[in-house]
Amino acid sequence: MRWMYEVLMFDGGVYRVNELYELVEDIGGFIIQKTQIQVMITVTMAIPSEDRGAIEAKARELGGKLVEVPLAGTEIVVVGPTLGRHHMPHPICDIAEHLRRYGAITVVMGLARGKGRQTAQISADEKAFIEEFDAAVFVLGNFADCIVKDKIRLFEKIEIPVAVVCGPEIPSLPFCEALVTGVGRKVERMRRAEEIAKLEETARAVQKIIQQKRKEIEEDPLFVHPAEVKQRIETLDYVKESLRPAPIVLHLDGLRVKVPYDKAREDICNLDVFDRKLCDIATITPSRLGGSTLIKIMTKSQVETRTTLSLN
Amino acid sequence: MNIVVEGSEDYGNEIYAELFERILIDLGLTNRVEGAKLLIYPEKHLFVVSVRMRRARQALKIPEMADLSERDGATYIAIRNESYAPPLLALLWKLFGRERIEQLSRLEILAHGIPISRLENLELNPGEELRKEVLDAIWRLLPEGFKVRRNLIADDVMTVISTEHEMQDEFMKIGEALHREMVQGLNLETEKRSYLGEDEMDV
Repeated sequence: MRWMYEVLMFDGGVYRVNELYELVEDIGGFIIQKTQIQVMITVTMAIPSEDRGAIEAKARELGGKLVEVPLAGTEIVVVGPTLGRHHMPHPICDIAEHLRRYGAITVVMGLARGKGRQTAQISADEKAFIEEFDAAVFVLGNFADCIVKDKIRLFEKIEIPVAVVCGPEIPSLPFCEALVTGVGRKVERMRRAEEIAKLEETARAVQKIIQQKRKEIEEDPLFVHPAEVKQRIETLDYVKESLRPAPIVLHLDGLRVKVPYDKAREDICNLDVFDRKLCDIATITPSRLGGSTLIKIMTKSQVETRTTLSLN
Repeated sequence: MNIVVEGSEDYGNEIYAELFERILIDLGLTNRVEGAKLLIYPEKHLFVVSVRMRRARQALKIPEMADLSERDGATYIAIRNESYAPPLLALLWKLFGRERIEQLSRLEILAHGIPISRLENLELNPGEELRKEVLDAIWRLLPEGFKVRRNLIADDVMTVISTEHEMQDEFMKIGEALHREMVQGLNLETEKRSYLGEDEMDV
């Protein structure tokens, strides 16, 4: 069962941390990200679930601690109606920052014409951009009438899980998988205890929808875990040389590689993954996030069907 | 400072009163605004803000705040009251351009090629400045999509009526009624009356 991985974060010192890397490699896990600040380091890793005990023991031995990062390995977009000061930066950036604490990579986005009620709209391009992510959080305003009657159009046709964050107490909202109320428009940072509780509630809601998506993926598992593909892509020279923060971002069902599609397509396609070319087990397309390439890994059944068809 | 909100959604009313207060604090206007009344009816696409300002300082002529003297074809201005220095400098830059107005020190300005007679009758009007700042606060508060706006301005009251589509006569009447009452000294501490009438409140 190659795909049963658990993502954890080690928080400790650099002394003997190589022993942790070796252990992760020995048990068939992967290092997703390392962030070193002087002598302290955080290491996000994907490990086989059954070997968690060994990693816990090693973390104890090294004097570090293991932190649960339930959103690690996901990329989430936080969407506001516009980039104007009415909607940005608060509370959109607070939510994005809070999701990062749970391991997610987040991107903040403002729609071009999302303001107003009946005039609010989302373009096909924006919709397609949002759908490259694992989940979207839409942050809306203070009036129930406006949200229920008009703003729902913004996320009505989005095909990835959507969490809506808004001000008024609305019992339920269509076209979204999670709803968090009591936030609304703000002109200052969310610093008070009740506001931090709301950020926590939002993070929990996002975790829930990610968990649900993970379960759906497990029903027809991916041919290979994205972390395994990441390890192979990291060997490419221009990926090593990339100065962009997090040049490879894991998704639940693939990866985003921050190198231009035209430049990287061939090399990425020819990477060897369990005796197959990557392009035989994944679809590789240009990403709408400038200068990036999107890889969607096929499920086991899709690869099998493809193999059968090609043999015939 | 009292902010009264009338509208169809309790949650939105409460939040917008808080928002306006925060915006006024951010802009340093809390001491200069006496009170405000907001009418918020999102279902009718109507948002009205009426603000009553405290009296600004009277308009002043330049010789009342500074000493003027002639110096080699230029006018030398020595400001007596420091609080007038920034607005005076801004006014002179606006009227004569930066090339001709030289700031020698914190309180000294040299106006090249401008005779005293042209400066003697210039007026600084702090009330105008306050109105601009209050208008900025109102624009920050109004929903971004409510772009169709009409301003009603009296000496110490400013009312902005805004909507998303065309401005209707009914909206103008509501805004004008509120503006009139604010000018007449509407008591914001006891005010509870609805401007849209009981029937329309249930929309």
